[in-house]
Amino acid sequence: MQQILPQENRRKWFRNSMPFWLILPTIIVLLVVQVYPLLYTAWLSLEQRQQTGWSFVGIQNFKLLFATSLFSDSIGLTIVFLVGHVVLTMIVGFITAFLLSRKIRFTGLYLTLLFLPWVLSQIIAGEIFRLMVLPDYGILSGILQNPALFPPSGLSVLTASPPTPWFGSFPFPPSPAMVLLILASTWRALPFVTLLILASIQLIPLEIIESGRIDGANTLQIIRYIMVPIILPTLVVAIFSLTLNAMNGVGLIFSLTAGGPGTETQIMPWLLYSIGWQQLNFSGAAALALVIAVVNLALIIGTLRVTRVEEASN
Amino acid sequence: MSKISSPFRHNNNHWLIHAALILIVFISMVPIILTVITSFKLQQDIERTPPVLLPCDTATQSFDLSACRWSLTGYQHVLNPAPAPKSLLGFKINGTLISVYLGNTILYATATSLLVVLLAVMSGYAFSRFRFRGHKALMTGILVITGVPLLTNLLALYQMGIIIRKSGLPYDDRVFIVIVYIGLFLPLSVWIAKGFFDAIPRDLEDAALIDGCSRLGALFRIIMPLTIPGMIAIFLLTFVNVWNEFLAGYLLIEKNNLKPVMFGLYNFLGENLINLQVIGAACILISLPIILLFLYFRRSFFIAMVEGSVKG
Repeated sequence: MQQILPQENRRKWFRNSMPFWLILPTIIVLLVVQVYPLLYTAWLSLEQRQQTGWSFVGIQNFKLLFATSLFSDSIGLTIVFLVGHVVLTMIVGFITAFLLSRKIRFTGLYLTLLFLPWVLSQIIAGEIFRLMVLPDYGILSGILQNPALFPPSGLSVLTASPPTPWFGSFPFPPSPAMVLLILASTWRALPFVTLLILASIQLIPLEIIESGRIDGANTLQIIRYIMVPIILPTLVVAIFSLTLNAMNGVGLIFSLTAGGPGTETQIMPWLLYSIGWQQLNFSGAAALALVIAVVNLALIIGTLRVTRVEEASN
Repeated sequence: MSKISSPFRHNNNHWLIHAALILIVFISMVPIILTVITSFKLQQDIERTPPVLLPCDTATQSFDLSACRWSLTGYQHVLNPAPAPKSLLGFKINGTLISVYLGNTILYATATSLLVVLLAVMSGYAFSRFRFRGHKALMTGILVITGVPLLTNLLALYQMGIIIRKSGLPYDDRVFIVIVYIGLFLPLSVWIAKGFFDAIPRDLEDAALIDGCSRLGALFRIIMPLTIPGMIAIFLLTFVNVWNEFLAGYLLIEKNNLKPVMFGLYNFLGENLINLQVIGAACILISLPIILLFLYFRRSFFIAMVEGSVKG
């Protein structure tokens, strides 16, 4: 029997626990910056500030939140924004990716130029769009404010009141400011989605397309019956990731519309900012934050399921 | 991207595809082009109604190239240079956007990116090469964490900052914000790093181990050199993310002179409501460094983005 030296024992223990030491710093940072805030927010949403300090109020904050018209309005606005943003980005992104996947020259150059909006920050992207439609001074406002083109008195995007809704109080058709917000966010998200779809189109084996073509399918049929089914998981991932980013970004709204005019572009993340930091009602903001967190969680679990299905089918 | 083959061989309509792509690229460039044009205008041309696209018209002609009134006043206003014979360039930049806020952002972005690369490589390696209890749960957990809305994080971190400041513990806005940035951008980087390690064959490492290399030796001599492209990609992605981040810097840093450049810009916008050329110039000056960075390293960015999203 060979005796195991204590030193060797220690070395073995260290080697076995190496993954733990490697991951530990990451875990600590994430606990502080991500996990603790979530727990704190959950606690905060059940409390209210009284003169004596914080006191437990149960689901009072949620009741108050759901009772405000600002919240119910923002649900409709958020749906309009998300649907407009996601549908527009996916359609244009798919078309662009499809064109870029053809064997032609300069695709690298096109992709690079297309990516410039993605490099800009949300604040700057919002400001660039605001500059274009600024009342009177914006370059496009010369066209938009022309009464001949937009009767009766021209269109001032940043101040126009919303059109009469078609379905009760659901904010559709969207107000000009909302259209501008959708365009701006689509502009910035498009490159990423294009790249995602392009990468997955390029992974489609040539033979499959080729055999489809031999069987007499035209390009549209190939897209519909061969390409889309194959890259479907990527499309779903792209949709989820677009929704997730749109649900969490307020930088664009900050410089573009600041939720206005009135509350026409007050989608849920902006409402959260406004309740938390403009009204300084942290309990109400915490309640809303949890609502948004639940939506996000559903999106992420959805993404995970889709990618897992993809892995299983490979 | 050209070396990846296309699924389509028959291309009889090249020109149509080029035309469509040029149109899409042009439309997406329009906002940027307009901003560049605006940034070189004079105040008098900006205030005209109806607005003119190019400040090149004269009393008699609608367009005359020799009459164009371009100017650098917007850039001058942002930079606010003053002659300073002692300094290196012969002048000193007094605009706070550049002299105060830009430096802060460079500091935060560099520090955050370096630390994110370090932590992501460490945990990416562990996740890729070791199987241990809770492996899958931790990986999934790190991904799910990204679903916590940014504003939720900020709500708690804002209060945390206030409490630490009040308690008299050693506190520095700069350290605090860098830790926050690391926490925000680390999860995705861990996944990207794991993907890069997964792509390196294990045999390579095993061969080194058999040849008598220690585990750490194999990591530093064999694996690390191969992951340098991945590390560059993570660094760049984090750098751009921190550079462009607005809300955390705006809300969590107490002292105004420590806030990042996006706050400086936001502040600046409020001071120059109708000086559109100044706003345009500020946007361009602040975006220029990362645009150049992107143009130079675009392949790294593309790889990191595809890696991070498809795997995630």
